[in-house]
Amino acid sequence: MAWILLAYRLPSEPSTPRITLWRRLRRLGALQIVDGLVALPESSRAREQLEWLADEVLEAGGEATIWLSQTTAPSHDRALAERMAQAVAEEYRGVTRAARDALEQGEGSVRRLRRLRRELQRIRARDHFPPPERAEAEEAVARLVQLMAAAP
Amino acid sequence: MKWATRAGCHVDRTACAWLIRRFIDPEPTFVFVANPDEVPPDATPFDMRGVDLSHHGGDCSFETFLERYELDDPVLGEIARIVHEADLGDERYEAPEAPGLDALIRGLGLLAGDPELLELTDRLFDGLYELRRRARAGDRL
Repeated sequence: MAWILLAYRLPSEPSTPRITLWRRLRRLGALQIVDGLVALPESSRAREQLEWLADEVLEAGGEATIWLSQTTAPSHDRALAERMAQAVAEEYRGVTRAARDALEQGEGSVRRLRRLRRELQRIRARDHFPPPERAEAEEAVARLVQLMAAAP
Repeated sequence: MKWATRAGCHVDRTACAWLIRRFIDPEPTFVFVANPDEVPPDATPFDMRGVDLSHHGGDCSFETFLERYELDDPVLGEIARIVHEADLGDERYEAPEAPGLDALIRGLGLLAGDPELLELTDRLFDGLYELRRRARAGDRL
């Protein structure tokens, strides 16, 4: 499979561009391969998003290049995909726990539900290799919706 | 005038093309290119790496257009927030319309090539503009 890579180097000061970049990469669900090298499964969208980030690195006085690449063995692809899946799985588990807690307490507030749904949506946006935890989280939130619909 | 952008338009580029036609250049010609090297010398490029009318400091290209052309219509400001979220989804703004707009344009993009897509999205953005304009004017919709 094809991967799109962003190789970058940013000046150590100021730290703001570094933090902004880190936050954006996290939102995209990019995998940090080594320091200054991140990967996403290739797609026109992923490519575009990394290109904008590359431009911002350049604007901040850093260096950035975008690469289209392939690993040399399918097992390497699987290992990368597995790392990405593990990262989002942990986040899905957090949503599942929060939804189950609300269910056990028998109280679902609209605000809480909205927060959980938004959190789910955020995780889905960076979930490139959906783990089983995704369905569990979606189901836990759906049950909370049912509870609220049944409430007087 | 001639304008150039990357082929395979999505929300930000379609919104910019609409903005150009409606507020900047009533008779634009659009050229779609694969990379910045293919931009014709007489064309103004937008939403491409390394050009001025593009992403800057976390803004999407539509927001950059509003700034460069000093378009301060508040309705356009509202549309800019929706386009920003549909394009970048960084939650800088509250824009519940954004995921819907993203889905619609992504879907249309599967059916139509860029020139036809822009015709369709021109109507979409005309409608969005009209809705927001009337809502601001206090019309009950």
